[in-house]
Amino acid sequence: MVSKRVGDFMKIRACCACLLVLSTASPAVSATGPVLFDGTIVAACTLTVTQNGTLDVSTDLQTLSSKIGTGSPGSVTLVTTGGVAVSVDPVTTVTVPVGDPATTWVPTYLTAGATNFAEGGTSNAISGPGLSTVTVHLVGTKGGSDRFSAGAYSATVIVRCE
Amino acid sequence: MTPFLKSMTLCGSIAALCSPAFCQSMSPMRGEVSSFTETFAVRVFPANPYGHRINVSVRVYDQNFNPVAARITPQDFMLSAEASRPVLVVVPFDGAPQRKVRICTESVPFPGEQTQIKAQICGKFLGQQRF
Repeated sequence: MVSKRVGDFMKIRACCACLLVLSTASPAVSATGPVLFDGTIVAACTLTVTQNGTLDVSTDLQTLSSKIGTGSPGSVTLVTTGGVAVSVDPVTTVTVPVGDPATTWVPTYLTAGATNFAEGGTSNAISGPGLSTVTVHLVGTKGGSDRFSAGAYSATVIVRCE
Repeated sequence: MTPFLKSMTLCGSIAALCSPAFCQSMSPMRGEVSSFTETFAVRVFPANPYGHRINVSVRVYDQNFNPVAARITPQDFMLSAEASRPVLVVVPFDGAPQRKVRICTESVPFPGEQTQIKAQICGKFLGQQRF
């Protein structure tokens, strides 16, 4: 009889403990709360020059170009969020042999990838995001009877993203 | 507070728009600054996306790409691979109530070759003088 009462008491105590645990734990189980994330992407542009160009001369010695013979274009990787413009500047920095007659330098570029522009020299707006490859060409020409003379030539083309 | 410090305070709002860890090449690329002094300041973050160190120059131009006599700190520096650093640009209003400038980060990553490509990233900034 005594042992039955002790057993009942133990059952009641265990039940109370269980109720206490449930009453303590239930609010935590049902609680919800939003965790907010926000961010702003500002206009950004990255230019990575992957390859400089080389120039070769034409058979009539009046053209020095990245488009002929062993000449090769320069290459630039452009990554942007959009909302920027790409362009090339007129060539102002050149190194030519002493006494070399004047040369007209014309840089052009084309893009392929997320943005595609045909070859040209004017500024182009890029509205959308993505990665594009900018191929840069340079052509130097001489007028009249002028010819390219032997020696080292170099020129700098500015590729701009703004 | 000195005019320089005032300008520094004002530029904080632009600098806070883009931390160097999240932006490459140069950031921010747009901004408007209000200033109560004869100058306005912008803090930009040129970054080096290459795996080798490069020479970087920061220049300020007007809308026609004429150079602007701005105080740039530092103006020319070496930037290690995939690194970024802050550059402070203080631009005078030169008597105008507002001034639009381009702040450009320039680099020739592979100098000494026949046809070099100079990469130029330019941001457009508007400074407005308040009285």
